[in-house]
Amino acid sequence: MIYSWKKIVKFSLPLLTLTIMIEIFAGQILQGKQESLLLLPMFLISIPVINSVGGNIGSVLGARIASGLHVGYISINLKDKEIHDNFFISLLIGFITYLILAIVIYFVALLGNLTEDIALIEFIAIFVLTGILLISTVAIVSVFTAFLSFKKGLDPDDMVAPIVTTFGDVMGILFLFLLFGLFGVGI
Amino acid sequence: MYAKEMVKQSLPLIIFCGLGAIVAGSTLSVMSDLIREIPGLIVIIPAIIAMRGNISTAFGSRLGSAYHLGIIDADNLWNEELIQNIIGSLVLSFLVSIIIGILAYVTSLLLHVVPNPIKIICIVLIAGIISGLILTLLTIGIVYLAFKRGYDPDNITGPALATFGDIVTMISIFGSAVLIEVLL
Repeated sequence: MIYSWKKIVKFSLPLLTLTIMIEIFAGQILQGKQESLLLLPMFLISIPVINSVGGNIGSVLGARIASGLHVGYISINLKDKEIHDNFFISLLIGFITYLILAIVIYFVALLGNLTEDIALIEFIAIFVLTGILLISTVAIVSVFTAFLSFKKGLDPDDMVAPIVTTFGDVMGILFLFLLFGLFGVGI
Repeated sequence: MYAKEMVKQSLPLIIFCGLGAIVAGSTLSVMSDLIREIPGLIVIIPAIIAMRGNISTAFGSRLGSAYHLGIIDADNLWNEELIQNIIGSLVLSFLVSIIIGILAYVTSLLLHVVPNPIKIICIVLIAGIISGLILTLLTIGIVYLAFKRGYDPDNITGPALATFGDIVTMISIFGSAVLIEVLL
């Protein structure tokens, strides 16, 4: 027999516990800003969306860099042209995705009678800017995680996705509240 | 430059996952009243979603590897290897759910919010176990269909779990919060 449940638990528990501690931190930020969020249900809908898209794009980028490093067509060098291309394509995909989803969320919220004092343009601006900030940060973290784990002889495929999604969850929430502040939305 | 290819291949799937996340987010906004009434509830949400994502995708990718190693296939799916994987995922869900509940309670106390510890731990446990059971069965179903059609399960389980995982988890949290609010 290859798999044993005890081994699965033993090897997964430490990293999972660390991930959970960081996510609880993200949750406490939400609790601290709870009143603002409950008054703006459109943004409550947005939180899983911002984080899911950021995590997916970061993981895809990480997986591509990992394959490039394994095969050898990407070198551990921040000036590598492949890295730059991948970085900008991630930003482009992020921009298009956040733009489309912002419009969908706005109309889902209108259909659900979650009317708020916010114009479509203002909502799109906050949502897309949060997304662009998040993708830029997550992409940098993804590149560095891939480089560092590859250098240390660890498989970047195992490292990038959990690190990028966990870090992205905290940063996504922080950037959203930063944009709230800049636009003077919420309490 | 292969930018066009990359955008063409990954954009539709990422948008599709985003639409799934909108369903999860809408469930969250339906829970507004519960979030007001149960201090600490909003704290556990990112943690449960992350736990579920981690445990399910690891389960899915282990099943993919088991298939490539020739340990499981369409005619030999329910064997001891699969059962060990299922037990491993569920035991992890149980342990991590308890850790989430305790951490959410203790950190809230430090920030001068006083949740009901029994309520919070029960909500995480029920949501963690129920979403774990549903997603484990869903993953096995997806892997089985992939075998039957001759697809590589590694290419299917990840995106499928990314889309449906958050929805199933969020609805499980909603359900268990309602249940606990009624019972306790």
